[in-house]
Parts: sequence; structure tokens; C-alpha cells
Amino acid sequence: MAESVLVIGGGIIGLSCAWEAAKRGFRVTILEKDTFGGQASGAAAGMLAPFSENTESPDPFFRLCLDSFFLYPSWVHEVEEASGRRVELCRSGSLNVAFHEADLLPMHTRLAWQQTYGVPCEMLSELELRRLEPELSQQAIGALYCPGESHVFAPLLVDALMEVCSKVGVRLIPHAGQLTKLEAGASSGVSVTMTDAGSWHADRVVVCTGAWSGLLEKWFPLTLPVHPIRGQICSFDGTLGDIRHMVFSSQAYWVGKNDGSLVCGASEDVAGFDRSVTERGINRLTKWSGRVFPFLQGSPPQRSWAGLRPATRDGWPLIGCVPGITEVILASGHYRNGILLSPVTAAMVGDLLEGKAESYNNAFRVDRFSRTAERTGSG
Amino acid sequence: MNTRLNDPFVIGGHTLQSRFFLGTGRFPSPAVLQQALEASGTQVITFAVRRINLDDLADDNVLQHVANRGFVYLPNTSGASNADEAVRIARLARSAGLGNWIKVEISAHHRTLLPDPIETLRATERLVKEQFIVLPYTSDDPVLCHRLEEAGAAAVMPGGAPIGTGLGILNPYNLGLIVEEARVPIIVDAGIGSAQDVVQAMELGADGILANTPIAKAQDPVFMALAMKLAVEAGRLSRRAGRIPKKRYASASSELKGRLFEFAGTEGEG
Repeated sequence: MAESVLVIGGGIIGLSCAWEAAKRGFRVTILEKDTFGGQASGAAAGMLAPFSENTESPDPFFRLCLDSFFLYPSWVHEVEEASGRRVELCRSGSLNVAFHEADLLPMHTRLAWQQTYGVPCEMLSELELRRLEPELSQQAIGALYCPGESHVFAPLLVDALMEVCSKVGVRLIPHAGQLTKLEAGASSGVSVTMTDAGSWHADRVVVCTGAWSGLLEKWFPLTLPVHPIRGQICSFDGTLGDIRHMVFSSQAYWVGKNDGSLVCGASEDVAGFDRSVTERGINRLTKWSGRVFPFLQGSPPQRSWAGLRPATRDGWPLIGCVPGITEVILASGHYRNGILLSPVTAAMVGDLLEGKAESYNNAFRVDRFSRTAERTGSG
Repeated sequence: MNTRLNDPFVIGGHTLQSRFFLGTGRFPSPAVLQQALEASGTQVITFAVRRINLDDLADDNVLQHVANRGFVYLPNTSGASNADEAVRIARLARSAGLGNWIKVEISAHHRTLLPDPIETLRATERLVKEQFIVLPYTSDDPVLCHRLEEAGAAAVMPGGAPIGTGLGILNPYNLGLIVEEARVPIIVDAGIGSAQDVVQAMELGADGILANTPIAKAQDPVFMALAMKLAVEAGRLSRRAGRIPKKRYASASSELKGRLFEFAGTEGEG
């Protein structure tokens, strides 16, 4: 019989990993503590923007983002074909807008190294920018334009992934409650207990518990500095004006969606596990929106919501086996890039389930914060 | 023993307890930024004016996470490529309520980001006349540092190496000369890679350190912030304590003569 895999956590990462595992022949069950796609996935604007999100240097994290970006079109095509649903992958291009003359030098620095990765990017003059994005404030003086960057509608992607998972025989268990026990042994497989869904047993487990991933420290000799950062996000009536690209600024970004909404995000709040939407957080976004797009001045958002993103100490995700316990795989800590990183994470987890070596020179290995274990040899 | 009590650090009339300034850019999350600031014990933070919401400081992306903690703000002109731009940025910062400290940072080259010495001197002269407390980031040229001091800089901030490279103090000889001549504080800004570079700069006589990338991009920014805080203190104390001269041959730390067991003394006790 095929090996069985439990996936803990039904965000975009858990769903993608579950689908990948099922496609590779594993029998898969996903246990979601609440509702699927409810946390960081729900707070996501769905931007696939490896260049706009990595402005500093071509480090391993940029490579990971870029690899996933290149996987996206065929991955989405497969999701859409298999689910019969559309996830609205839109190659709108992105504009990183300069409002100060001093913004231009760092943009040139960025352009110099980013240009060499096979995706065209260019600097736009004020005039060119106005032609591409006419509703932008007159304060804008130029932009870095990346026509290849795109976005998906994250809630639709979650729905489509749930659909494809069901179709390939993945069991989806929502409202399973908190993970309270995780035991693993080479011969005995893994046992998992969830407060509202009882105990489960399988050969392997993939833990995709996002901001809650630090709890693995209870069961394994690992230091996992994963912490929640609340993202508040809102959407405006997109018919008020026309925004053609993803627009990035120092304080917020905007993405127009096919349903006529204009999504504006996102705050990065240090608020523990509190998921509430605050007036101050949304006011920040709406005030700034009015400055960058004058047609939004004074218009309240139609909708506002929040989710918890899993941040790590070094800003990179944790993807790999627990050292010495290959039955337990962790895929978490994707922070602001979970939607973008889903295909590459799923591929890496699929490889790990098949016993293939970890990639990216183990840059994302899960024990990289566990230095004391290395010294004592206990890890 | 609190050594810092007897070692005041005065810039622009402010007496600071900490000789360690932090930049707020590039941190993986605002929570990590907050913890690193806490661990560093810093009192002065720097940030690029161009990235700040000048219309509403309380709402700013970064400042909202560091407000009400008693920090002195040192806004910087990063991105400016000449004195005119730097002066405009400084005025914007002051009129937005960011105070009257300004770090002049003028780069002419997009890859090295090395400071433009001539424009830096010009901007410093003009901003001093406009009553700013000016801390220019400059190359580690002793004559230029002296000229910046003459122009009225409240402190002079030579780089150890280009920004973000982590190459350390590339020209310790120059830094030694700069420190020897200076009558204003010398703060090493840029190029620091890890705590050992901090100790070296402080032992060479620097009065303080400004760091951002080596903390924000360390695998554990909070630990590195603490490590560098301790390195600033260790280097400062070591400088004040005075190191021994380097010698070519060993000299035992206890005399062999008079020992009960002549051969047991060869290991020394140092």
C-alpha cells in the first residue's frame, strides 16, 4: 500500500504540499485547525513579484522566489485544468513608484543586478509612467517597471487547490482544532492529536502551520523562531478609477482584481496572535491610498480583513526534514511570500517525501537556528 | 561596575549613554527590528527620509514600530546624489518634525554607493549654516574628515568599507589618523561585518559605531545586536585600558626564578 502522509495546516502551503504529495502517489490527509486558507493566505493580495519583493541582492531567497515565479504559469494551468476553476492569474506588470528624486539611485542599483535574470525591467520617466498609469498622483516622478510580474486571486487559488486535492483523493478535515501531540519514530510512523479531530496515524507528516510553527519546539530539539506578524488589508471599489498595474510604494501596494475590487495592503503589525482589524491600521492604508491615487481620496474601503503571517528571525522560510527524523517535514515561515512560494515549496516537499536531497545548499534547513544542538551533538 | 557612567558621549549637545547607532532598514520583520533595537541598547536610530511618510510620521511603516521609545532620530539623505538633493531632503525631514539631526549621505555611484566627497562637504557646510546637527557619512580620508569637522559637522562618520559589504575596517591606518586629529566624535559608519570589526574600530579610537546591514541581515539579528553592543563596550574599554606593546618573542608572565619546581613553571599563568 502507498505510504500515508498527514499534512497539518490548510493554508496555501499545506494545500499545495498535499496536492503534490497525492500526485506523487502518497495517500494524503490534511488537518486544518480552523478553515482552509484563513490566515496568511487569506490576508494575501496574491502578488507574484520576486523582483519587487527582493530589492537588495540575489541571495538564495531571491533564487527561491524566482524559481517559484517561473513554475507558476504551468502550475496554475494544471490547477485550473484539474479543478475546472479559474484563479485569475494576471500578468499585469508592476510599478515601483518613485516619489522623491532620492528614490531613483536605489532603483538603478536594483535594476543593475535584477536585469540579468531573464525578466525585463526598466526605469520609466515621469512622462512614460503617466502614460502607463494615468491615475497616479502628480507627485510621482518615475518608476521601476517590471512588465512580467503578475498576481493571482488568492481566495480563488485556495478554493481551486481544495478542489484539486479532493479530486485526487486527499481527505480534507477542517475545524480540527489545535495540534496537541506529535510523536514520530522510524519504525512506528507518526501519531498526531488534534483537539477537535482526535488522533491520526500515518507514515509521514508535513507541518505547514504557519505562524504557529514554533510549537514544534515542544516535541523536537529545534529552535524555531517563527513569530506572527498581522497583516491588515482592505479593498476599494475598483470602478472608481482605473489602476492597470500592481503599484508598490514605501507605505503600501495596490492590486486591481478581476471582480472589480482594488486590494490595498498591507500592514505589518506586532500584535501577537491577535487577528482583529483595527481602525488605525485601515486608516493608514486609506489615507495613503488617497495620496497616491487621488480618486481614492475620501472613499472608505468596501472590505477590510486581517491574517497572521509567519515571520522568521532571518526572513527566510523553513523547509526541510527535522534532523534525524525524516518522517517529519516542516514547510513554514513564508511570511509575505507564501502565495508566490507555493509551487516551489510543494516541489521541495515532494522531493523530501521521496527521500531526495535538500536543495538550495540547505539555505532553508529547519535546524539553522539550533546551534547549541550542533555543539552538543544532541541534534 | 558601570564603566559607561564615567565616559560621556556628547553629540550636538546631547549626552548619550550608548555609543552604538542603528539603522532600521532591511530587517526581516518589525518584531525582529524591535527586539534588535532593545538588545543593542541604542539611543540613536537612522532611516532614509525618502522611505518615510512625511505627511504623517505616526502612521509611517517603520516609525510606528519605534515611536515612544525615546530614540533620537538621525534621518539620512540616502539616495541623494548631490548636495542640492541632500539639502532638500534635510529640510523636508525637519519640517516634517523629524528633528534637526541629519546624516548626510550622498552617493554618486549606484554599485559602490561610495560617498561623493565634494558634494558631502558642500552639503555639510550648507546644512550647518541652516542650524542642523550634521553627521556626514564620508570616505575614510583623514584630510576630508578634518575638512568636514572644520565645516561644523557635529560628528564625522567615515566608512570602514562600502555600505553593506561587511568587509570590515579596510584601512585601519587611515582610521587611526582620523581619530588622532579629530576634535569631534568619529563614528565608523558602513562596512562592519561582525562584532570583531566593531572591536577593532573602537580599539583604533573610534568614538562610536553605526551599523545596519550586519545586524538586519545576520541570521539572528537580535543576537548580533547584542554582540555588537558588547563589542562597542569591549573595544572602548580596551582602548582606554591601553594594550601591551607587541613583542617578537615570548616573555613569561611569572618569573621562573625562585620557583620551587623549576620545570613546572614553563606554562606560565597568564
